Amino acid sequence: MLTESLLNALRLLRLNAPRRRAGLYAGERRSPRRGRSVEFADYRNYTPGDDPRRVDWNIYARLERPYIRLFEDEEDLTVYLLLDDSPSMFWQAEEGDGLAQKWLCAAQLAAALGYVALATGDRVVVETAGGQRFGPRRGVASAALLIAFIERISVESRHRARAGQRLALNAWLKRCARDVRPGLAILISDMLDEDGATEGIGALAGKGLAVNLLHTLCPDELTPALSGDLQLVDVETNGAQDVSLDAGVLAAYDRQLSAWRAQVAAEVQRFGGRYVLVNTSQPLEAILLRDLRREGWLS
Amino acid sequence: MDVLNPLAFWFALLAIPIVLLYLLRLRRRAQPVSSTLLWRRAILDREANTLWQRLRRNVLLLLQLATLAFLVFALARPYVSAPGGPSRQIIVLLDASASMQAADVRPSRFEAARAQVRALIEALGMNDRMTLIAVDGTPRALSALSNDKVQLRAALDALRPTLSAANWGAAIALAAAVGAGSEESTTFIFSDGANADDLALLPGAARFVPIGESGDNLSLSTLALRRVRDGLAALVRVTNHGLRDEQALVAVRAEEALIDARTLDVPAGGAVEWTVGGIPSTARWIQAEIKEARYNLLAADDVAYAVNAANVARRALLITPGNLFLEQALAALPGLRTTRAAALPPEIEGYDLYVLDGVSATLPAGANALLIGAQGIFTPTAVFSDTAYVRTAPHPIARDLDWRTVSVRDAYRLAAPDWLRPVVEGQGGPLVLAGESPDGALRRVVALAFDLRRSDLPLQIAFPILIANSVAWLAPPQGLDIPLSVQPGEVVALPAGTRVTLPSGETVTLGTQGFAQTEQPGVYAFEAGQVRGAFAVNFFNVAESRIAPNPNLTAGQSSPAPAAEAQVAQREFWHILAALALALLVIEWWVYQRGLPTLGRRA
Repeated sequence: MLTESLLNALRLLRLNAPRRRAGLYAGERRSPRRGRSVEFADYRNYTPGDDPRRVDWNIYARLERPYIRLFEDEEDLTVYLLLDDSPSMFWQAEEGDGLAQKWLCAAQLAAALGYVALATGDRVVVETAGGQRFGPRRGVASAALLIAFIERISVESRHRARAGQRLALNAWLKRCARDVRPGLAILISDMLDEDGATEGIGALAGKGLAVNLLHTLCPDELTPALSGDLQLVDVETNGAQDVSLDAGVLAAYDRQLSAWRAQVAAEVQRFGGRYVLVNTSQPLEAILLRDLRREGWLS
Repeated sequence: MDVLNPLAFWFALLAIPIVLLYLLRLRRRAQPVSSTLLWRRAILDREANTLWQRLRRNVLLLLQLATLAFLVFALARPYVSAPGGPSRQIIVLLDASASMQAADVRPSRFEAARAQVRALIEALGMNDRMTLIAVDGTPRALSALSNDKVQLRAALDALRPTLSAANWGAAIALAAAVGAGSEESTTFIFSDGANADDLALLPGAARFVPIGESGDNLSLSTLALRRVRDGLAALVRVTNHGLRDEQALVAVRAEEALIDARTLDVPAGGAVEWTVGGIPSTARWIQAEIKEARYNLLAADDVAYAVNAANVARRALLITPGNLFLEQALAALPGLRTTRAAALPPEIEGYDLYVLDGVSATLPAGANALLIGAQGIFTPTAVFSDTAYVRTAPHPIARDLDWRTVSVRDAYRLAAPDWLRPVVEGQGGPLVLAGESPDGALRRVVALAFDLRRSDLPLQIAFPILIANSVAWLAPPQGLDIPLSVQPGEVVALPAGTRVTLPSGETVTLGTQGFAQTEQPGVYAFEAGQVRGAFAVNFFNVAESRIAPNPNLTAGQSSPAPAAEAQVAQREFWHILAALALALLVIEWWVYQRGLPTLGRRA
């Protein structure tokens, strides 16, 4: 799923959380809580019950009043990889036996980002729209498990996608929001849902999760190569739409696509998240090492 | 509008397979997509901007069906018929007679008619053929069954109106020869309708296009000269053909010198005569002209000329033992100088006329002779007394001759040659004979088969008439038998080699065809060997001077019914339909390829 050279390159990267998040365990990330690390942060008045070891005796000797030394707390980060495995993610214009390029790209992105998070000591949770869950796990040793998990759901979700089961984004994200802690959420989805994902993203944000969106769209969605008189069938809803394709319709599609992307990006950014469009035909290295670094997701 | 090939409408059944193919084509191919979300929005976007999108497929079908319809219609060869327009074969009779020069329609009736004919030429269809016939004194076809508009226009522009009267009989014969009366031909007559009653005889469908508005016209209907005691007197008659009383200033000139001018009151529909005296007898010709009049639309009949025949003297040799009646009768004739002799004089050459009163003589070759009584020329075979009048044969010398009261005691039965025909016959035999010799011994001969002294003819009114007629026929006033006044366009029988001086001053030497250049009114002088003379060309034509248009004339035996006339012009336009079909095909292709142009699209 991931090549050695890519893994090698990923090993040097780490996920940037948009802002400080409170973690559960001490980790390598600066926590908003004051903790016991070596970096001094501030003083505060001593109140009974404070650990007397943390009183700054030098200050007490000078001022005759006890002050507690506060240090930066370093905690871990919980990274939620929300992987959309709805049937639309398995769609490809040309029917084939292999996995759709779109899904493959999304799965590889999830594996790569999960690997980065595991490698930097963050807690990794993978949730799929189909209800599969991985983690939470820490440590690079779990990377193999993560990749095995993603390969497993690739097969299972593909079977489900063949059956045409519809998965609503809002419902999935709200379900995820019930059981999360503050951290970083990366949503990998095409966002192709009638009802959008505003409520779900809002629910996650309410739990202190910044939802960053990797908007995976394949070339057949970005610039459709369809022509003629067609009856378009939605792979999720099985709804049909008659369309006679000509230059005007394609131009209208292009306009609507741009507007919709702008709308999705605005929703994400409204809740403090970041948005990156992923053209799934691009090489994975280009997406991870170039686009996401440029956008500041990885550093 | 109608079609020539209705069977072509069966091709319209091709619309059925087109619709079937269209319906089959409408079964769209199913194409799974990740989501129809954006597509639905795109369609909504598109439809919100143009309703055409929903109809686009239908537009293609409609365009295809319209293309088929145009093609089928073109195959059916439709044609339109313009009312009054040209038929497939058009015969145009264009009146070019004198009355068409009237100026009641500016610039003239003829020009107005010409403009209408020109419009008819312009409206000619591809398959139309036109025959253009000019109707004047000698109707002629300017173009026969021609579709060449350039040629037709050129022929029309070259046509000039004449001063002759329209010869409708000949024009109708010509039109019938061209094809008037056949089913597909229509005759158009552009005329003022004056003097055109014959038009009803025109075969087939015809339409009369009246030209002209007013009939106000004054004409000089008569100009005559006679000898009076102190010279010449002219009789001028001015006729008012209009409906308004009119005053006209009339001037009379002797050659170029003004003799008299007077304002004449001419009542509507009437005529006024004016006798002008004091014209010198030396004048060779006179001219009368209507100078000023208010309602005078035709200029051609406002001038008239008269030639003074009296100053061209003819010489007669009278050989008689003595006959007072005969001498007096000859002396009374104007323009005749009579030499009397009792016997045959030694010099007998050079006389225009020889009168032999009971005398035998040998006359020079080519002489004209009036032979009275028994002579040696025609031997009398017998004498008959049964001289009661039987009949008079038509002959110039018998004009106005009343023989019924003439009594002849006895007459000679002459051994006359065949060419000498009886003019006045009695019960016993011919009394007066006349004829023209086919050989050269004599030219014209008038013979009286009785002695004047044995008859009461000299006492009768018939005698001076007979003498005057005989002299006029035997020795015409000008030496040639030429009328003093002819109509424009009339051919004057002048001998070959005659030099004619036209009113314009131009001189023409004639061939053997006679003189036909008499279009211009005026005095024509001529010189034929020793003989000099002149004649006048005058527009004395009451029918043409009466220019009142007759718009209610019926022309043709079947005046084209309005419905039939509406079908006269069959102009096919299948090529336009075919071109439209091609254009629709291009549009259909374009719509299919590019989609309909979006309206009000944002940039």
